[in-house]
Order: sequence, then structure tokens, then C-alpha cells
Amino acid sequence: MTTSALRYQPLGINALKERFFSLVAPDLPNEWEVEEAMEELTDADPALVDEILSQVPAIWPVSNSLCYNYLGQALHALSCFPAAELGGWVNETLDRYEKGGLQAAQRFMTNVEQEFVCRLRGIAGLRFDEVRGRLLPYIRGLSGRELDLAPAARACTDGDTIFLPHKISMARDGEQNFLLYKFTASFQWAFLEQGTFFPDSPLLPETGEEAAGQLALALFFDSLAQPELAADLYLQLESIRARAFLGRELPGLVRETVDLLPDPLCRQETGRVARLLIALQCCCLTGEPDGVGLPGVEDSDLRHLLQPEATAAHSLALCRRLYTRLCGQVGEYHSPEPLFFQGTMRLDLVAAARSRRRQELGERFVDALTTALLTLPPSSGGPEEKKRPEGAGAAGTEVPDVALILDGDGKGGEEAEQSAFLRVDNEQVVMDEELEHLGRQVIDEFGFLPPRFVSSAAGRAGRAMAAGDVGASVGEQPLVAPVTYDEWDHRRGGFRKSWCIMTEKEIPVTRSTFITATLARYRGQIIRLRNQFEMMRTTERFLRRQRDGDDIDLDALVESLADSRAGLPPSDRLFVRLARDERDIAALFLVDMSNSTQGWVGTAIKEALVLICEAMEKVGDRYGIYGFSGMRRLRCETFHIKHLEEPYGETVRQRIGSIAPQEYTRMAPAIRHMTARFADVDARIRLLVILSDGKPEDYDDYKGEYAIEDTRHALLEARSAGIHPFCITIDHHAHEYMAHMYGTANSIFIDDVRKLPARMPEIYRVLTS
Amino acid sequence: MAGREIRLDAHRITEEPYYLPLGDEIRIAEVSHRCGIPLLLKGPTGCGKTRFMQYLAWRLDRPLITVSCHDDLSTSDLVGRYLIRAGEAVWMDGPLTLAVRAGAICYLDEVVEARKDTTVVIHPLADDRRELPIEKRGELLGAPPEFMLAVSYNPGYQSVLKDLKPSTRQRFVALNFDYPDPEREAEIVEREGGIAPEMARQLVRLAGMTRSLKDSGLAEGASTRLLIQAGKLVARGIPVRRACHVAVTQALSDDPELLAAIDEMVSSLF
Repeated sequence: MTTSALRYQPLGINALKERFFSLVAPDLPNEWEVEEAMEELTDADPALVDEILSQVPAIWPVSNSLCYNYLGQALHALSCFPAAELGGWVNETLDRYEKGGLQAAQRFMTNVEQEFVCRLRGIAGLRFDEVRGRLLPYIRGLSGRELDLAPAARACTDGDTIFLPHKISMARDGEQNFLLYKFTASFQWAFLEQGTFFPDSPLLPETGEEAAGQLALALFFDSLAQPELAADLYLQLESIRARAFLGRELPGLVRETVDLLPDPLCRQETGRVARLLIALQCCCLTGEPDGVGLPGVEDSDLRHLLQPEATAAHSLALCRRLYTRLCGQVGEYHSPEPLFFQGTMRLDLVAAARSRRRQELGERFVDALTTALLTLPPSSGGPEEKKRPEGAGAAGTEVPDVALILDGDGKGGEEAEQSAFLRVDNEQVVMDEELEHLGRQVIDEFGFLPPRFVSSAAGRAGRAMAAGDVGASVGEQPLVAPVTYDEWDHRRGGFRKSWCIMTEKEIPVTRSTFITATLARYRGQIIRLRNQFEMMRTTERFLRRQRDGDDIDLDALVESLADSRAGLPPSDRLFVRLARDERDIAALFLVDMSNSTQGWVGTAIKEALVLICEAMEKVGDRYGIYGFSGMRRLRCETFHIKHLEEPYGETVRQRIGSIAPQEYTRMAPAIRHMTARFADVDARIRLLVILSDGKPEDYDDYKGEYAIEDTRHALLEARSAGIHPFCITIDHHAHEYMAHMYGTANSIFIDDVRKLPARMPEIYRVLTS
Repeated sequence: MAGREIRLDAHRITEEPYYLPLGDEIRIAEVSHRCGIPLLLKGPTGCGKTRFMQYLAWRLDRPLITVSCHDDLSTSDLVGRYLIRAGEAVWMDGPLTLAVRAGAICYLDEVVEARKDTTVVIHPLADDRRELPIEKRGELLGAPPEFMLAVSYNPGYQSVLKDLKPSTRQRFVALNFDYPDPEREAEIVEREGGIAPEMARQLVRLAGMTRSLKDSGLAEGASTRLLIQAGKLVARGIPVRRACHVAVTQALSDDPELLAAIDEMVSSLF
């Protein structure tokens, strides 16, 4: 092959035909067809011809005509990319053929430059999943909250998530396409930031709770004869405002992106209204409102939108004026193509996200209120210590009469602070902070306090009170005799004596491939972790020949005296020092095995445990692992996975693999149990690492403030016993109570559960070094 | 003695350091000094704790002796030691002893980094006894009224090994420091970095964005100090994006995704 390349003597049509027939044998294709297809190749470099023909056996069986097409195009294609890429090109061609038929494949083959070579140079556009990792922290930093990113056909946002196109390929290279992605995300953020979806305007109809499923803005548009036109006008005006906003907030981004944006003027739109919308788009791109020529609107009005003090209400008023002028002039209205970064205004999504948010808020509020009602001191008619319904069938009979008074939205100064009351059976009770805070959030969100929240909380409280204690379940044999622990009742500032019964159980071992899969999956990481942890391993040792220290280094002293006698300059390094950086650490890992850890969370926790075990084996710290769960105070359970001194072996691994979600999260008894386990452990540092996915909570009235205070107290007890508790949580609402429960520096929140396995050993390392 | 005077003079602050008060911290510190109560400064890195001490030293006209604590810091590193020079044992005062003798301000920066047994030496100095026992010399050194002890630490570091014992922390008047509000932070960055107000505001905005990345895995957001450093680079002609990249982005993290995200913020803002 190489020798013929040196000579470069064209092969001639007959030789080519012969080669071809031998390649496709035993088929006997039409001779004239082959001749026609091979014509291109007769004068070509035989080395290239060899390359080209080598692909024939792959294509011929798929489609004969595709093969002829290929022979016609291949030489041209090879002028665009190196011969080594030919296989890839052919594969892609076959793909196209199988998906879109001969024509698609032909199109692909003719457009070598755009379809294939661009991608070879990495410039065929950027996909969403390639940019998400980089954009997500960016947008979260920008917004200062937990915004999410998701792919969609067109850019839009619902207030919780920003949707971005699946792919952007407008610009020449990847970096520029990324910039366009970033611009789109920032632009959608600008809509949120400037309140596009919730203008505070007198034009909007008043919405009661009945219309909660719809935005006032959507209702306003729907009340007009041509809602799409009005919505489009509004979107364009708001885009102008958003562009001005970005120009002020993120000048660098706007400066860099502005040249990459497509020019809407190149689109041919007919009709006055469409042209007008395009003029508005231009204005949005250039930030220059002069000469847009809107009917009935002065340039100065439009210019006002560029000012920082302009609001969505201004845009809406302007939209209304424009709409009245224009609505008569269009027969059937078709929206022009929006600019890609504007995307569409999905008021339905915004409304849905708002309902979701409201529902979640409502649930949390009802929960908190239920708890408040259940934990009312007896004097105010609370059900807690009051006559529990003795006979059966009493459920639901004792729904307390509840009213919640929350006036003054913080404007009334001192007076307003006193205005939050809970009225139960006509007695006023002051609400706790959490409930009041939630109540205010509810009022902010809804504009008023929906009565259904209060009634449903009252109902739930009544039912919970009526339900009796669930007896202890018959389950696995307990490992040791059950122990009782006190429970802290913050309302009375004292313990409920021997309130919880804690049983320690063995996890029923199930066989699975979990461990092997995890070890394989994190192989590289485990090796790295082991190295890292090995470096932390240190022991007590003497440092000799120091300039100062606790004792004299006799060897050095003798030497120095000898030196001095001999007339040499004596050394001043004459001391020994004891370096006491011995790691005397015992750690217990307490794992939340509540119901809510089902699925991903549970897997991540298990993986994290495997990783930490692998790493711990290297550092040599003693460690134990326990899981906890349970239901009600009489059945608190801890599950033994690994005792402190137990070696990490196959059994322990199997137990980790068998961790499965159980019931509720009554955390405090488990913490007290761990404290008791630590009592006879002698270590300089005793560390209790709690892995949790949410608030402490149990089936009964162990919820809210009561549960948090009890857990907090259990942690305080642990601390006073010389144990350092530390919590790793993945609960998104954790901020509200974590700092209170653990103290600010003693907990960490991991926003993505998938990161847990990687982060956990890292956290442990930082904690103990 | 002459040598000691020179050493002390080097610690005297002659020019007024720039410090923008955020509350009543200066008054509290001055009163504490008058009453002989030691100070504990808490706050994240680079928020102005050290600068505050310099300013205080200047106001009180006392030399400031700063010791940066580390986990190998021993008692004799603070108090002093015998060194053997040419066959003779010579006593050398440590920085703490030096400060007590001269009635200076001794500032132990990041005191939690020091070993626990080391922090205990400051106990008799930090309560109403105000004395420093120098065991090796059998000397008990009383502190003059001008002497002040100040320590600082960053409560954000999550290490169980690095926490102050209650017996230590309960000897101090504690001042909590945090990053200033955006306006005043911009003022500081503008003044210290020597840059235009608009640039300072943008830098502060960048800091705000990085500080909200805590849940995405960034241990700590950009400090005021980082902003000032970035500002200084900009003021001396380094292009602003490059300056932010080297002074802010790279200083904050090693995680490639976070680095990229912070760089994106930089390129959006400037």
C-alpha cells in the first residue's frame, strides 16, 4: 500500500472495478453503475483510494445505492478532513441512513463542512448537559438562592427553575456558545429579579384564593380580545427593561455577548404589528429606544423603561396603551419568532411553581400549627396532658376551636410585634417564633391567611390526640436488653423520666452486589482517599536536636561539648521535644434510617459509608457505625452495623449493604444511646457524626420545636460528656434549625445528595486535622 | 536592653491605619483596655480583624506585637526560652513576655490553631491577676495597665480539634466581626484598593455572589481582603478579569466547576 503511495500512479478504471467486485463478492452489481460511481476515483491517489475502498464492505450490505453515493462523495470528503476520520464519517453516515433514510444520509455526505467537520473542531454547538455543571453554581451565586436549571425547547422560567434550550449552536465556537447560554440564563434571571411575572399594577384584576392556579397577569391578558398580542408586547417591553437591568448589573456579560446576538432585522416579517415587535426586539438588543416609532408612545416613554426605577407596572401600562392602538389593526395574529434568550413567557409554569411553593409552605405551616396545638400547655386547653379520650371511637370528636391572629405586616413598629396570637377555645396563646415566621411567610405569599390551613391543622391536632399509642412491634431480636432514656421537654424545662425505650438490633443481612458495585465505581477515589488518610496517620515521637524543647538531648550536648573542647563551633541544637500529634480519635457514625431516605438518598448514604470505611482503615482511628429509626417513644431503635472495636470485614460490608429505610426520625434517643456507648471509650477526641436527611420527627406529636429542642438537648448532653457532635444533612430546609440544634460550625449542608459519598470522607478529614 | 527597644519600636504604628468602624467596636475595645479586660475577635477570614487591632494600637499609642498561631506553637515560643550561644545559656523573651514587659498589645492571631496546652499560658494573664509566670526563670511577671491581650479566631472552620475551651473563651470580651454591608464594603475596597467607586461596587457584588455559593461547596466566600487585593491589581493596570481570576477565583477554590462558575461571574460583572 505504502509503495504505491510513493509512486502515485492512478489505478485506472478497470483495476478499480476489479477491486470493487472483489470487495462486494459474491454480489454482482451492475457494471455500468459501478463504473459511474468509480469515475471520480480514477485519477485519485491510490493510497486514498485504498482508504475509501476499505469502507465499502461496511456500507454495501446496508444499502447499495448509499455505497454508490459514498464512492461519489468520499474524495471530496477526504479533502475536508484527514483520512483517519473517514471511519467516523462513514459510521455517522450509516447512522443517518438508518434514522432518516437515503436522503438524510446524502444530505449528511454533501454537507461535510457543516455536518461533520465543524463537530470535529468542536464547534457544532453546545448541549445543555455540557454547560449545566458550570452554569448552575453561577446562577445560584447570581441569584443567591437555590435556582435550578433544566433543558427545554425554549428558554423560559417558572421562578424556581430556569429552562434553557437543549442546544445552542449559533456562534462560531464552543466558548461563544457557552456565552450565549450564560446570557440566556442571566436574562431569565433578570425577569425574575425585576418582577416581570408579578407586576404591582392597578390594571391587574384582584385575585382571590379561588384563582390561585392562575396569575393575575394571565387573567389580565385573557380578558383582552387578543391575549397573545398583549403578552408578546409585554414580553418585549419587559425584555427591554431586562436588557437595561443586565447592562447595569452585569456589564461585562452584556458587552461580550452583544455582538454574538442574532440580528432580528434580517428576518422578513410582513404586517405592521410584526414589524413593530421586531423593532422592539432590536431595541432590546441595542438598548437604544430611539426611532422605534411606536404608535401613541413617545420615545421618552420607552426610554423610561431603561431607568433603574422603572417597574413591571410601567411596562404593563405601556403594553396596555400599545395594545389598544394595535388590536384593531391585526386580523389573525401570529407571534413572531422570539429572540432565543427571551424565550417564551410561560405564565402557566410560573403559576404552577407558585402553587407548588404555596402548597409546600402551607404544609409546613399546617405542620407547625398542628404541633403548636398539640404541645399547648394544659392550662390553655391544649390536648397534650388533657383527658385523653378513654373509650374507643372517640377520634375526631375533640377538634379545638382555633383562630390565628396575625396582623400588622411588620409596619406597625413595636405594636406589630405583639400582634401574633393563637386563639384556642377563646384563649389567647402567644405563638412561637417559627410558627409566627411561617405565618408571615404565608401572608406574604398569599396576601392573607387562608382559613383552610387553620382548620386543617385544628382537625389534625384533634385526630392525633385521639389516636392512642402504638404498642411495640414484634421484630428482630434485640441485641441487648432495651434501655430507657429521658426525653427533654422544653416547655416544662425538665426531663420526662424514662420516656423512651431504646432497643439495639442487628440489621437483617441481605445479599446484594451493592458493595462490589460501589467499590468498583469509586475505585480511583478510594485509592486517593486511602493515600490522603494515610498521610494523616501520625504517632507520638521525639524530635531530636531542636533549638528548644522539654528536655536536654544528651547526645547532642556531649557532642557539642566535645566540639567546643576541640575548638569547633558548638551546635545550639541541644534539646529534645516531644511531638504530641498522636491521633487518638474515636468516631461514631450515626445514620438516619428513616423512611424518607428511600431511594437515592439511602444509596448515597450507603456509598458514603463504604468510602469512609475504606478511608478509615488507613488512618487507624477507631470508629463505629449505627443506624437509627423507630416509631413512637416506646419503640426507638438503633441498628448495629459496626462496633467501635469491630474489624471492618465482610460482615460489616454486608450490613452496610443491607441498610434499608425503616420508619421515623426520633433522633434524640439515638444520640443519647451513642453518648452512653461512648461513656466507656477512652479517646482524646470522641466524635459523633450524624448523617441525616431531615428534621427530627416521629409519628406522634414529636415534631417541630419540641423535637428540635429535645434533639438539641441530647446534643448538649453529648457535648458535656466530651463528645463532639457533627451533622451532615441534605435537608433543604436545614438552615432554619441546624444552626440552632448543632451550633453554626457543627453542621454542614450538602445540596446534592450525589455529592455525599465524595464529600463525606473529605469532611471527616477536615474535621479531624 | 537597647536591642529590645529597637525591637519594640518596630512594632509601633506611627501612621493612622485606615479603618472604617462598623459599630461601637472601637469604644468597647478602648473601654476594655482601660479596664484591663482582654479582647476576643471572632469573624471570617479577611474581614478586618487584624486591621482593627492595628487601628486600636495606633489609637492607644501602644506597640502591637502580633503572633500568628500555628499547631506547632509551643509555650516557649510565646513566653521565651534559653538558647545556648557559644556555650552559654542565654534567655530570650518570647513575644508575649516582650509585650507584657513593655506594656504593649499582644495579638494572638487565629488562636485556635495553637495547641490547647499553649493557650493555657495566657489564662493567668487574661483574668484579673494579669500576670505571666515564666516557669523556666522562676519569674512572675505582672502586666502594667497599658498591656492588652487580644486573640482572634474564625468560628467558621469546622474542625473539632480547633475550638476554644470554655475556660479560655470566658476570659474575654468578645467582638463579632463580619463582612461589612455592601455600601461600606465598597467604600473600603475603593479606598484601600485605590479604584473607582463603580469598580469597587462591582467587586463587592462579586463577593456577594461567591458568598452565596456556600451550599454549592465553597467553604468561604471572597473576603474583603481578597477584594482589596484584586482592586490593587486593577489599580496598577492589570486587566480587571485577569485580576479577579488570580486574586479571587483561584484563591477561593480548587474545584474545577466552582472555579469555572466564579470566573463566569467575573466575566459577567466586568
